[in-house]
Amino acid sequence: MRLTIISIGQTLRNDDGAGLAAVHYWVNAFPGTSHNPSITIEEAELPGINLLNLLEGCDASILVDAVQSNSPPGTIHQLTEPDLLGFPKGTQTAHGWGVAETLQLGRKLGYQLPEFIRIIGIEGENFLPGDSLSLSIQSHLDEAAQVIEDSATIILKQWSA
Amino acid sequence: MKNIEVPALARVEGEGALYIRLKDGSIAEVELNIYEPPRFFEGFLQDRYFQEVPDITARICGICPVAYQMSSVQALESALGVQISAQTRALRRLLYCAEYIESHALHIYLLQGPDLLGHESALTLAEVAPDVVKNALRLKKVGNDLLKAIGGRSVHPVNTCVGGFYRWPDLKNIQDQIPGLEWALQASLDTVRFASGLKYPDFEMDYEFVALTRPDEYAIYDGDILSSTGNRITTNEFENSYIETHVRHSNALHSHTSANETYFVGPLARLNLNYEMLRPVARKAVEESGLQLPLKNPFKNLLARAIELVEVCDAAIELAKSYSPEGPSFAPITVKEGQGAGASEAPRGLLYHRYIVDEQGMIRFAKITPPTAQNFAQMEADLWKYAPSVINLPHEEATLACEHLVRSYDPCISCATHFLKLNIDRD
Repeated sequence: MRLTIISIGQTLRNDDGAGLAAVHYWVNAFPGTSHNPSITIEEAELPGINLLNLLEGCDASILVDAVQSNSPPGTIHQLTEPDLLGFPKGTQTAHGWGVAETLQLGRKLGYQLPEFIRIIGIEGENFLPGDSLSLSIQSHLDEAAQVIEDSATIILKQWSA
Repeated sequence: MKNIEVPALARVEGEGALYIRLKDGSIAEVELNIYEPPRFFEGFLQDRYFQEVPDITARICGICPVAYQMSSVQALESALGVQISAQTRALRRLLYCAEYIESHALHIYLLQGPDLLGHESALTLAEVAPDVVKNALRLKKVGNDLLKAIGGRSVHPVNTCVGGFYRWPDLKNIQDQIPGLEWALQASLDTVRFASGLKYPDFEMDYEFVALTRPDEYAIYDGDILSSTGNRITTNEFENSYIETHVRHSNALHSHTSANETYFVGPLARLNLNYEMLRPVARKAVEESGLQLPLKNPFKNLLARAIELVEVCDAAIELAKSYSPEGPSFAPITVKEGQGAGASEAPRGLLYHRYIVDEQGMIRFAKITPPTAQNFAQMEADLWKYAPSVINLPHEEATLACEHLVRSYDPCISCATHFLKLNIDRD
């Protein structure tokens, strides 16, 4: 069984790098889980349609990305695929597809995608060019990492049961 | 009726605004306003060490990171007096082939293709023609797998450095890509047939085409800069012949020739200027398709991309088969102050970089002129000529028609489904 954890976002668009930062934080904070041989960690940045290749064949996946909705910055959302359509991404990439559209396309084409996909969205506030995270994001990285840890642990426990 | 203006939103690279003003039934004003991200990078690169530049500039674009890496390493190698090996050059060409395969497959089938097939997006196309979309994704995956084999990962590859590569890719890893590339070559020939059968809007202009050129290969990685006027210059002379200026209505700089004319970069320019250098299998595909060159219809950028897919798949097979790494993977570098320019052909067109490096190897100046920015003025000129034929359609159709024209250039905004806010002011 394979769990793939994929961080998405652009480190040079300030808060759009929240997903990557959160997964880094989690790897360092929870080495026991993050080094589990059943877990693959991908720093995808801007995967676009390539997300399908990263997901194909794995049994579960957790995607970690920045989002922009009406919630306070730093809010950690836990979303399913259907939830995604209501959560626009902070930045639209130049050529890539958003996560929601890519998953939709993959399902339509019959890609072997995991039944379980959890999206952890971190509410950002500044998506302009720059290489720093807002304080609101920095102060919630530990919370985001805990959510990743809890999600991964639940999946691993189910597999070992 | 009063003027309607919608300023460009700062949704990074995602949106453009088009403003059209009519007077007495004729087009009186056309403004295309698009946000341009590389401006930030020119400032951001200052005070960075030169070896950081390839990885930083790669993040300008998620689809063409290799192009930014290639233009940047050439410029920095020129600044520092670094000579790369023939092996390095061959591997860089192979890396570029990988990028062309995945970028062109994406644009042909998932970005511009749906426009020409009357579909809102690849999502609706997938409902009626799933095998077409599946094959497109498989083609794209071939490119991505090759990118990963050479660059370490498929998005923002990390193996490129000034002087060469941080490490030689594993030989078996490269050889394992060959079957996929051979399939891709056949798929690209099918793509030419697919592209030849599409119905293209009837629109032509007399363009000045500009692209890299070489006497020994279809120029993608490097070359002199050739114009369809016959003007041929070296990379170091680029800024004397092609000039960027600020325009009031745009966040992006607009490019013109030194004669103050618009010009056109991209697949159409490359194919029209370098047709003779295509590999035999690609030239045969052109002949069998019945294409008459020069192509002057921007919508037929898609056709040119299809031909280039054949070219790069065939080139990639040869380069992969002849890959046999030996010796150091990067050339020695003596850090010194210097200035250098470099240019390569991104999938979207000519991409120019220039850097000034100080005696510590720190970047003191960076200039990046991407292909999309060079095409902005030409896109506006095209819209000016094209708009009269669509302006009297229902508003949504007129908007889509203009959007399709801009999307045929494959600019850095084309993936957003409804990126264009069309405002028409009729006096």
